[in-house]
Amino acid sequence: MWLSGWRIALLVAILAIWEVVSFTLIDPFWISRPSDIAVRLWDMAVSGSLWTNSWATLWQAILGLALGLPVGLGIGVLLAALPRFASVVEPFWMGLYSLPRIALGPLFVIWFGIGLLSKVMLVFSLVVFVFILNALQGLHEVDRDLVNLMRTMRASRFYILRRVQMPSIIPWIIAAMRINVGIALIGSVIGEMLGANRGLGWYIQISGARLDTTGVFTGLFILMIMAILFNEAIKIIEDRLLPYKRAS
Amino acid sequence: MDMQVSAGPKVVLEGASVAYGDLTVLKDVDLVLGDGEFLSIVGPSGCGKSTLLKLISGLEPPAAGRVFVDGAEIDRTPPHVGFMFQRDALLPWATAEENINVGLELGGYPQADRAKRCQELIDFLQLTGFGKHYPSMLSGGMRQRVSLGRLLAYEPELYLMDEPFGALDAQTKVMMGRELLRIWGRYRKSVIFVTHDIEEAVSLSSRVIVISGRPGRVKREVKVDIDYPRDLRAVRKTAVFHDLCSTIWDEIMGEKAVEQAADDPAEAPA
Repeated sequence: MWLSGWRIALLVAILAIWEVVSFTLIDPFWISRPSDIAVRLWDMAVSGSLWTNSWATLWQAILGLALGLPVGLGIGVLLAALPRFASVVEPFWMGLYSLPRIALGPLFVIWFGIGLLSKVMLVFSLVVFVFILNALQGLHEVDRDLVNLMRTMRASRFYILRRVQMPSIIPWIIAAMRINVGIALIGSVIGEMLGANRGLGWYIQISGARLDTTGVFTGLFILMIMAILFNEAIKIIEDRLLPYKRAS
Repeated sequence: MDMQVSAGPKVVLEGASVAYGDLTVLKDVDLVLGDGEFLSIVGPSGCGKSTLLKLISGLEPPAAGRVFVDGAEIDRTPPHVGFMFQRDALLPWATAEENINVGLELGGYPQADRAKRCQELIDFLQLTGFGKHYPSMLSGGMRQRVSLGRLLAYEPELYLMDEPFGALDAQTKVMMGRELLRIWGRYRKSVIFVTHDIEEAVSLSSRVIVISGRPGRVKREVKVDIDYPRDLRAVRKTAVFHDLCSTIWDEIMGEKAVEQAADDPAEAPA
């Protein structure tokens, strides 16, 4: 209660200062103003474009994550299981990882068009590496004693994977998910900026082109709310998956 | 192979050595563990006591020599061996029940009877009401009891215990020792109990082996002529007990004086 009270107070203060400044110090042409953004939000909500644009961006992010998680996890498990193979391919995939994958955008547009698929693939290309890295690191840090103990009871490799390794990397995967939520939204928005006819990235892009700062800020505001809600959803999933952490 | 009827020795080590690279941890260890015997192993820290258990459980291959369990030379983890570490090594994401269930699953306990058996063990170990608790919610002593429950659930014929109560406070340690003797008295399985606590070793076991510092080798064997069942508190007051403890203590200290390694206060008796 105490915390949310202060948070709301801070938010109100920031919005009030912004509003006052836009009437006194700085022309709203540059910074828009909260009341204008609120009106724009209302207009977009009424016209339905709030929903279509938000959903387009969110859906691409979700699909990219949904593809990146199993693929990244699978590759991570594979690399952990085959250390020799992993050391051979390491420079290659680290090279890919270091590449600013935004630069792949134009290529994805050529390959996958300007529809849904190119954005999903861009998101995927961004998030998959975080999943791989975290899965690998998580598997690397599995408690040796737990594995040894299972081995003394003649547990199969599959049993150890299922009962020890997988549960112990869940916190790593959730951490990756948290990082990736923001990255996925970036990928989704950038994909829309490269060529699209809907989505928040597209909306921000055309608003900017029209020097409509209110439109740009409205798009940013919706993205921010979306990221916050996304993160909260991950927290709920985390609580569900890790009851033993909550207990301590 | 599992069906050996003869009451031959449970474990035999013949000139077994273990090395990590150039470092020889155990050298020429000969050891015979009788079926149903309770053997303790003491020695300075880093003498390879734990390695000895890893060797017998197949986690560590011998660099030289041979290891037999139930008369058969082992090449991987032999069946019916239960291991217990100083760290409880419980799955943190599993409740006490689920952790004990791991022992039942891996021990091949009939699925239909697992829930019942699990509850029996929980009651037996005085964990009633804590079955649904995660390890993080339990005290060190309770965690170690869950760990013991998992071991019992696996129904091993040979218990390898690596300072299982080493991290517990003195009272809990004695209580756990009493628990272990109760279990041993009931099932009469073979036990190798590694500890650096000489009094614990003497009070629990029927024989104590002293291992020398690096590289570890068997330095001395002491028989503990105290009848079972033992009352641990009464035992600790007897003259036999004190004589045995000081004999072993001298053995280890002599060792240390030679090595000039007396700077390790962790080896002081409790």
